[in-house]
Amino acid sequence: MTASTGEFRREAAVAVADAHLQAALETATGRFRTAREIVLAELPDADRLRDHLKAVRAATIANLAGYLEQFEQNATAAGAHVHWARDAAEASAIVTRLARERGVTLAAKSKSMATEEIHLNDALLAAGVTPVETDLGEWILQLAGEPPYHIIAPAIHKTRDQVAALFVQETGAPLPDDNIPTLTATARRELRQRFLDAGMGISGGNIAVAETGSIVLVTNEGNGRMVTSLPPVHVAVIGIEKVAPTWNDAAAWLALLARSATGQPLSIYTTVITGPARAGDPDGPEEVHVILLDNGRSRLLDTAYEEILQCIRCGACLNICPVYREAGGHAYASPYSGPIGAVITPLLFGVENYPALPHASTLCGACQDVCPVRIDLPRMLLELRAEEVRHGLASTTESLLEKGAAFVLAHERLLRLGRGALALGQKPFVRNGQIRLPAALNLAGERDLPAFAPRSFHQLWEELQDE
Amino acid sequence: MSEARQEILRRLRRGNGGEPHPGSWQSPRTFPDLVSRFVEALEASHGETFVEDDAGAAVSRLERVLVELGARRIVCQDEPPLDSLDLPERLPAFEWHVVGQTTGSLRAICAEADVGVSSAQAALSETGTVVVDSGPGRSRLVTLLPPVHVVLLPADRLVADLFALVEQQEQPLPANVTLISGPSKTADIEQTLAIGVHGPRRLVVIVYS
Amino acid sequence: MTAEKRVALFVTCIVDQLMPEVGVATVRLLRRAGFEVSFPREQTCCGQPFFNSGFRDQARKLAERTVAIFADEPAVVLPSGSCTTMIRKEYPHLLGDNPRYAYRARRLAARTFELSEFLVHQAGWEPPPGEPHGPVTYHDSCHMCRMLGLRAEPRRLLAQSGHEIVEMAESDRCCGFGGVFSVRMPEISNAMTAEKLQQAADTGAPLLVTADPGCLMQMRGLAGESAGQVRHLATVLEEATR
Repeated sequence: MTASTGEFRREAAVAVADAHLQAALETATGRFRTAREIVLAELPDADRLRDHLKAVRAATIANLAGYLEQFEQNATAAGAHVHWARDAAEASAIVTRLARERGVTLAAKSKSMATEEIHLNDALLAAGVTPVETDLGEWILQLAGEPPYHIIAPAIHKTRDQVAALFVQETGAPLPDDNIPTLTATARRELRQRFLDAGMGISGGNIAVAETGSIVLVTNEGNGRMVTSLPPVHVAVIGIEKVAPTWNDAAAWLALLARSATGQPLSIYTTVITGPARAGDPDGPEEVHVILLDNGRSRLLDTAYEEILQCIRCGACLNICPVYREAGGHAYASPYSGPIGAVITPLLFGVENYPALPHASTLCGACQDVCPVRIDLPRMLLELRAEEVRHGLASTTESLLEKGAAFVLAHERLLRLGRGALALGQKPFVRNGQIRLPAALNLAGERDLPAFAPRSFHQLWEELQDE
Repeated sequence: MSEARQEILRRLRRGNGGEPHPGSWQSPRTFPDLVSRFVEALEASHGETFVEDDAGAAVSRLERVLVELGARRIVCQDEPPLDSLDLPERLPAFEWHVVGQTTGSLRAICAEADVGVSSAQAALSETGTVVVDSGPGRSRLVTLLPPVHVVLLPADRLVADLFALVEQQEQPLPANVTLISGPSKTADIEQTLAIGVHGPRRLVVIVYS
Repeated sequence: MTAEKRVALFVTCIVDQLMPEVGVATVRLLRRAGFEVSFPREQTCCGQPFFNSGFRDQARKLAERTVAIFADEPAVVLPSGSCTTMIRKEYPHLLGDNPRYAYRARRLAARTFELSEFLVHQAGWEPPPGEPHGPVTYHDSCHMCRMLGLRAEPRRLLAQSGHEIVEMAESDRCCGFGGVFSVRMPEISNAMTAEKLQQAADTGAPLLVTADPGCLMQMRGLAGESAGQVRHLATVLEEATR
C-alpha cells in the first residue's frame, strides 16, 4: 500500500465531505478525549507516572536484546514456544506452518495491529486457513472488506443499518430490527460458534513481560479471552518493542494504557498468559506460540527515530489530532493512522512509499501533549520531511518554489522589488485585502488568499520613526 | 528460526544501553475504605455489587440473585472458599455443575449454563477489578462463557490497586490470570455502548467479610 | 528584565508583506511600554516555512542571516509565536554545528521574545484601564500555547485593557494553517479552519483574536465577510490603549 500526497488528499477529501463520518469521528474521539482527561485527573500523580513510564520505556528500548532474551527464557520455561521473525514474510510463514502442521482450517483472531501489519490474513487464506476476526469492529470490517479507520475503534464510520446489512448477508437470515442490542446479540451468537470451532486462536499482545515470560492482552469484549482459551493452539504476534522488564513496569504501563486510550481506568479484561495449560488445569490451550516481530523496528535503534519504539499503542494521539479528525483513518493506507501512523508507517514501510504522511500534520504538538510517554512526534515528522528532501522525494515544483522563495528572502532588495511588482499586479483581484480565486486555480482550495499590503512594513517604517 | 533470532539480537545490541531503569514505582494510592471504593468503581463500569456481613449472608444473597435471574443451570469453580460453602447442598433448587466433579464436556456445560459462579484470588479497589486465574478446579470458561458471572469475594482479598497486587502476587504465575473490571462491552457500532459482546453480559460481585 | 530600554523589532515576513498594521501596532505598544524600538532593515524571514518543509539548507541560510542581523541587539521582539519559537527552540539546533553561529544563535534565542510575553514579563507593562470594550474570543496558536507556554499573557493583556474574554470550546485546537500544509493539503486545512471559525462563532463574541499572523491569515481566508473581525492581539491592544 502507498500514500502519495495526491492519494492522501483524495481519501481525506472524501472523509471531509462525509458529514456522517465527521460526526462519528467527533463523537468517538470526543468521548475518548473527555474520558481520558477525567480519569487522568483522578490519579493522584498522573504526570509523575507518565515521566516514570517514559523512563521505563526508554531504558527498555536501550536494552531490548537483554529483556527479550529474558522473556524468551521465562516463556519457554512456562511451556511456551518463542519464535523470532525478522519480517512480515517470516512471521506469516511461522503461523501458516503451525496451522498446516496441525491441520487447522479455521483461525479465530482477536484484534492485533501486528497481524494487520504483516498481512497475516492474506497469508492464511493462501494457505487454506480461514481467518475470522472476532473483535466486533474488526469483524464488521472483515465482512465489508475494508481496512480499519481508527486504532481502537476500527469501524467508527459504519452506521447501524450498514452493519445490519452486512450481518444479514453473512448469516443468510433476516434480523428483527437494526437496533444495537440486536446487532450485538447477533455478533455474539455468530462469533461464539467460531471460537468453539477454531483450531487456532491468533492474538496480538499489548505487553510482553520479561520477568515471567507472560503476554498481556487487553480487550473490552472478551474475545481476547476466547481466542486464547478455547482453541487448542494459541499464537501471539507481538512487536519486539512491546516488552516490559518487570511486573511493576507492566503495572505502570497498564495504569496508563486504557486511561489514555478510552478513558477507562482498566479495560474490562486484562488477560495474562504464561505458557499453555498446566497439568491439572481444566481447560486452556495445549500449545502457546509467541512470535517476536521485528519488521523494521530494530533498524530504528540509534537513529533520530528510536523514541518511536516507546509507543504503547494507546491511540490518544489519534483522538486529539485535528488532521486525523478530519481525514479519518483510510487516508493513511496503513494499519497505523493518526500521528503515530504518520511516523511509524514511513519508518517501517519506507518513506518513498508513504511520502504524504510526514506532511499530514500542522506540527501543532497536541499529540505529544497527550502521549502517555510524551513521544516527540513533531520532531520526528520534521526529520522525515528533511529526509524526503535529502532523498529527492520533494516534487520538482516544490523544490523550485522553496529554493526560489528562500533565495528571494535572503536578498532584501530582491524581495522589495518582487513584492512591489506583485502588489501592483494583484490589484484587479483584491477585495477587502484578500484575493479570491476560482477553486481550480487556487492552491488554497476554497480559502481566500491574503493580498500583499499596498506598502510593506519596511516602507511604513520611515513614517513610524517620526511618530 | 535461530538465524532470525541471532540476527535480530545482533541488530538490537546496537542500542547504546545507556538509559538507566528508573526502578520501581511506589504507588501512593490508598483508600480509607477498600470495599466502598471497589463498589463505586465496579458500578461505574456497569458491574453490580452487594456487600454482605458474612459468608452465610453472602450465600443467601447468591440465592436471591440466582432466583431473580431465573437461573437454572449453574457452573461453579472448585476453589476456596466456594468449596467449603457447599453451594449445591445449600441451594439445591438449581442444577449445579462443579468443575472437576461433573461428567460430560465442561466446555458444553459452560456454554449452556445460565450462570458461572467463582470466587476471586484478589480484587482491586481502585478499578473495581476481580482477579481470577487458572488452576486445578478453576476453569477459564466458567467466568467467560455463561451470560452471567457471579463472584463471591471475601473482603480481605481486596487490595488498593494493580501495583499492590503485583507486589503480593506469587510466582510462578499460573497459565492464565484475568483481571475482570466489568461486564463485557463494546462501543464499536455507532459509538453506542452495548453490554455483553463475547464475555458475560452481567458481572455480579458479592463482597462479604 | 532588560537593562536597556531598547529593543529591536523582528516584524516577520507575513506581517511585513501582508499585514504591516500589526507591525505598526507592535511598535506603538512597545513605545507605550517605555521602550525605544529599532528596526534592522535587512531583516526578511526567520526561515521557518523552509525548515518545516524539510528544506534545511535553505532554512539554515536564513537562520544564519537572521542571527547576523540581530546579533548585537539587547532584545528582539516579534508579533508572532511561531517565529519566536523558531528562533528560540530551533536556531540553537539548526546552527549548533557551525562554530561561527552556534554561540550567537544561543545568545539570540535567550534574548528573543514574543510580544505579549515581553510586555508582561520583560516590560512589566500594564495597559492603562480604559473603557470596557466588547467581548472577544481568543485563539491559542499552537506555538504560543504548546511550544512557548504563553496562554495567560495574551489573556491578561486583553482583560486588563477592558476586553471580556469568552472562551471557545477548544481554544488551543490547531486552526489548520501549519505553513505549507495549508496549500499542500487544503481540503483538510480548510476543514480544520471551518471548525475553528464555527467554535469562535458559537461564543457569540464579535472579535476573534490571535497572536500569530499565520493563524490570522488562515482564519481570515475562510471568514468571508467577517474577515475584518479576525484580528491580531497587537492591533486590538493598541487600539484599546491609545
